[in-house]
Amino acid sequence: MQASSKQMYQYPLHVIFHPFDGYWELKYERNQRNSLLIAFMILVLLVITKILHAQYSGFLINLSNPKYLNSLLEMVYVIIPVLFWCVANWSLTTLMDGEGKFSEIFMSTCFALVPLFLIHFPWIWLSLVISAQETAFYYFSNALAIAWTVYLLFVGNMTVHQYSPAKTVLTMLLTLVAMAFMAFLCLLFFSLVQQIVSFVVTIYQELVLRG
Amino acid sequence: MRRSTWNTRKSVIMGMICLLLFVQEASYVSADGKTDAYHYSFWGDAVPAPAAYEATTIITGKKLNTTPMKEPSDMHVTANQHVFVLDSGNGRIIEMDRNFKLVRTIDSFVQEGKEDHFKNPQGLYVTEKGHMLVADSDNHRVVHLDEQGKLVKIVSEPKSDLLTADFQFKPMRIVMDKGERIYVMAEGVFDGFMEFSADGTFSSFIGANRVQVDPVEYLWKRFATREQRSQMVMFTPTEFTNLDMDEEGFIYATSGDRGKDPVKKLNAQGTDILRREGYQTPQGDLLYTQEAGPSRLIDVDVGDSDMYSVLDSSKGRIFTYNGDGYLLHIFGGIGNRLGQFNTPVALERAGDRMLVLDKALGEITVFQTTEYGRTLHEAVRSYYNGDEDQSSVLFAQAAEMNANLEYAYAGIGKALLRQKEYAESAKYFKRSMEPKGYSKAFLLYRKELLREHFSWMMSGLFLAVAAFVTIIIVRRQKRRTTNAGIK
Repeated sequence: MQASSKQMYQYPLHVIFHPFDGYWELKYERNQRNSLLIAFMILVLLVITKILHAQYSGFLINLSNPKYLNSLLEMVYVIIPVLFWCVANWSLTTLMDGEGKFSEIFMSTCFALVPLFLIHFPWIWLSLVISAQETAFYYFSNALAIAWTVYLLFVGNMTVHQYSPAKTVLTMLLTLVAMAFMAFLCLLFFSLVQQIVSFVVTIYQELVLRG
Repeated sequence: MRRSTWNTRKSVIMGMICLLLFVQEASYVSADGKTDAYHYSFWGDAVPAPAAYEATTIITGKKLNTTPMKEPSDMHVTANQHVFVLDSGNGRIIEMDRNFKLVRTIDSFVQEGKEDHFKNPQGLYVTEKGHMLVADSDNHRVVHLDEQGKLVKIVSEPKSDLLTADFQFKPMRIVMDKGERIYVMAEGVFDGFMEFSADGTFSSFIGANRVQVDPVEYLWKRFATREQRSQMVMFTPTEFTNLDMDEEGFIYATSGDRGKDPVKKLNAQGTDILRREGYQTPQGDLLYTQEAGPSRLIDVDVGDSDMYSVLDSSKGRIFTYNGDGYLLHIFGGIGNRLGQFNTPVALERAGDRMLVLDKALGEITVFQTTEYGRTLHEAVRSYYNGDEDQSSVLFAQAAEMNANLEYAYAGIGKALLRQKEYAESAKYFKRSMEPKGYSKAFLLYRKELLREHFSWMMSGLFLAVAAFVTIIIVRRQKRRTTNAGIK
């Protein structure tokens, strides 16, 4: 038990520093259930980071209106893109001879998000003690985190689906396009449902008022 | 019995939860005219504010013991607070003294031995020497009279290669600078203001508005056929609606529809040098309904210390900004009460008073500053003059009267910074949403804090490093012994 809990936090760190090894292990050697648990935990930590960042990060870098802070929405902003990415990626790669299962795609994506959490979380507190000139460091590390994450996503995709690098890049770009399509369809769907609901409500009101 | 108490308790708890769920914060006042005075916060919300001006009297033709004003269109106040009103419908200029007593009316002038009259004049400007310039619109000329009302010169029908052959000169608004150059806003001219040299010859255009192109519209236009294109609206630069000149000779101009920047400050080259450091760019109302549309700014008045006010004709409101572009206060409105207007056309400041000319009603509403307005103006003035201590005291007073005035907190912050109260200063800058000032104060505070606690922080760090090294050494030692044991 002791050993596994130690591995619990060591493994994601291993993945982000040795992505090729790490993702290989993830796909072929490790206990899937355990990895899935870690993936979920990473997601939860990222959500927490996002919420704390919006609420507590320093005045110089935090330009969100506290009046409109909504933790549920912050949560949605993290989870929906990840979910969209995974679904779009899975849908595409099944057509493009990818070898990854959905759970593998999900896990690899979550593991790729570790740098975001790792870099953003300390910045919530560091940002309280920086001056305007030092915000450059903040923006730099922000960019670094994103670049790292993209790199990890790339390696993860390549390993999970057993693609060539060029094909991985292509898949990732197509995944973005697919995400846009999904967002469009979702909005369309919701707006249609809304209209149907309002139509039914209007008819009901009409009946009640006449009857 | 117990069950029923539990039930009531449960319903109370449920009720409380419902209240918690549906509770709403105290709503802000909206900009729909429910209150006269409001303000825009850093986040662009309309928040309540005390009135900076209150209406005291209305000046009509009757009160001046003369015939009623008919469609007056412009107004000017001189340094000695004499008010000149251009009574367009009657083709005359009315001069009042500072107590709004009639001094004289000028409805004609002598040109080459003959008496000449104005025909629907639209613009009036009075120079420091008391010379009057009238944009005599329907006569297509500018009339320059001296302080006695004698004709100095007439500027009409400019000739230039810059103008088309069929150009018709119809001046609407006018200013004159210290070098006696005349700047004219003429109808149908999209190239900016027409500049005339001292002898009345046309020299050039200055300060044209840039063409604003809507990308979507541009795309449609690219796909349209020639016939369709001729049906579409042309991309034309927006016309100016008014202009005023400050003491240093910079022209402040307003343009009617909300382009990128409806207020401009033009230098001699015609480049816009208005400072827009405020929370929002000067543009009148930030919040407006789709039907009402954005503010239509039709007059600008520059006061002292770089403060300027603009008049919004669609809602009848007056917005005052300081030289940096921070919104100071908003007042006025369309309505039937004292302090509201029907069709406001011109705005002038006369010392502590603000005059607004109503075209349809032919009357002038006189506003007097309230204590809040005076404090705020005085604070801005002292800051402009470099008296920061005085200004911070006044800003503190203004902030006490209006807690929503975020701009004032920066003034307090600046004073505290000079008094070396860095932590407090940072707090005020933060409240004022002023990252630059905050950063400065915070940096000094941090430095101070570090100096104070340097010794124990350094020793703590040293101890931590020592402990870490010891642990590593001990561990290594242990491992070596266990390894030795295995051997």
